[in-house]
Amino acid sequence: MSDSRDDFIIALRYALLKKGAKQKFSLFFLILFSILIITLDKLSVPPVNSVRSVLNDLVYRFSVVTSSTEKILIYLSSASKNHFTVYSENKNLREEIELLKKNNYDSSYLLTENENLKLSLGLENIKLQEEEIVTNAKVMVDQNSPYLKSLSINKGTKSGIIKGMTVFSKNYFIGTVIEANYYSARVLLINDLNSKIPTVIQDSNVNTILAGSGDYKDFRLEYLPDDFKLEPNKIIYTSGRAGFLISGLPVAITFLNKKNEVKIKALTDPRQASIVQVAKGQVRN
Amino acid sequence: MFAFKTIKEILLRSLPILLLYFLCFNNFEGIKEIENAILFSFNLQLIIIYIYTLKFPDYLGSSHIFFSGIINDVVLGTPLGSSSLSYLSMCFFSSYIRNVTLRSKMTTEWFTFIPAIFFSNLIFFVVINNFSNLAYYYVEVLRSSFFTFLFFPIFYFIFIKHQRQFKQE
Repeated sequence: MSDSRDDFIIALRYALLKKGAKQKFSLFFLILFSILIITLDKLSVPPVNSVRSVLNDLVYRFSVVTSSTEKILIYLSSASKNHFTVYSENKNLREEIELLKKNNYDSSYLLTENENLKLSLGLENIKLQEEEIVTNAKVMVDQNSPYLKSLSINKGTKSGIIKGMTVFSKNYFIGTVIEANYYSARVLLINDLNSKIPTVIQDSNVNTILAGSGDYKDFRLEYLPDDFKLEPNKIIYTSGRAGFLISGLPVAITFLNKKNEVKIKALTDPRQASIVQVAKGQVRN
Repeated sequence: MFAFKTIKEILLRSLPILLLYFLCFNNFEGIKEIENAILFSFNLQLIIIYIYTLKFPDYLGSSHIFFSGIINDVVLGTPLGSSSLSYLSMCFFSSYIRNVTLRSKMTTEWFTFIPAIFFSNLIFFVVINNFSNLAYYYVEVLRSSFFTFLFFPIFYFIFIKHQRQFKQE
């Protein structure tokens, strides 16, 4: 009994402390060093923060270079797919243009009417104004990990980006800045588990929290009243509650899935974003 | 010509290190280019660390494993040092198995990979839960762990075959 216990302890000690021919540090030392780094990172000591910021900038740049191989593969895959779908897509687009031309006359009238009504009610203009945009940035790395749905952009505090700013792609809200380095920043996407946005549903005065679940086609609405029935094709806007984001930004839309269930999807796929606009968002207030 | 041969040999010898760093910089999870193939996402980093620490510890140092973990943390946005600790725990587990195993077989190593993955993921979750406010996708992690276990033999034979070149020399 004691022999087997001794063997176990010897094997453990050997695994932890033995250094191989090409190993400079023992496992025990490196494990302790990792724990020290985790603790320092948690404490957010200013020197550690600046070291992390420099490290982030460096790693993101390297990451862009290494991920170029993946981008080439994605490009080849999409190019071959596009080649086969271009004819049917062209036909659909022609039909769509005709339909849009017809709708354009109606929408221009509605827009003017809407502007006049807003002016008479004294409501703020919900459209993303040019002067609100701090900078345009390029997406360097997009992460689709089991831990964080985020993307890294190539602008940081040098370009005026600070933590908490909102990020748009094609005028649609896609996330908020959660980490700002000198030359780069990380954006938490709206479909991430950690993303919670105060919202209001179109044609109702129900205030809810739009929570991500990882998939951009499967959002959840939290704190929805029990008797409220969600209908398809309703746009979900930011409510501007608690000073988080300006009100009236379209974020998601409800739709019917194949099983005839009402689901919520983002208005744009955040993973497809390549150029994004960073706006002041709640930082404005 | 001689210089080219030397460089080629150095590159081939350091293939696990280069591959590990490349995967960490790139946040490799599987083939993302093919639609639905991401379902079979797996953690190749863990496979490399396990196989090389178990079979060829002289080709992959603990320091490289530590630094690749730090890079992985920066790319993923998880607390700095958490992936390092997770990778080092995998390294610790495999070197313990190496010490207590007399006659190694692929099947025994494959099945001891299950507690190794569990141990490594457990440490990662403990760190994330206690040192950050991140929520994570349990199902995706479970799926990824399952496919990591499932694809182990394929990479085992590939890496063993690759390392045999140097043994013959």
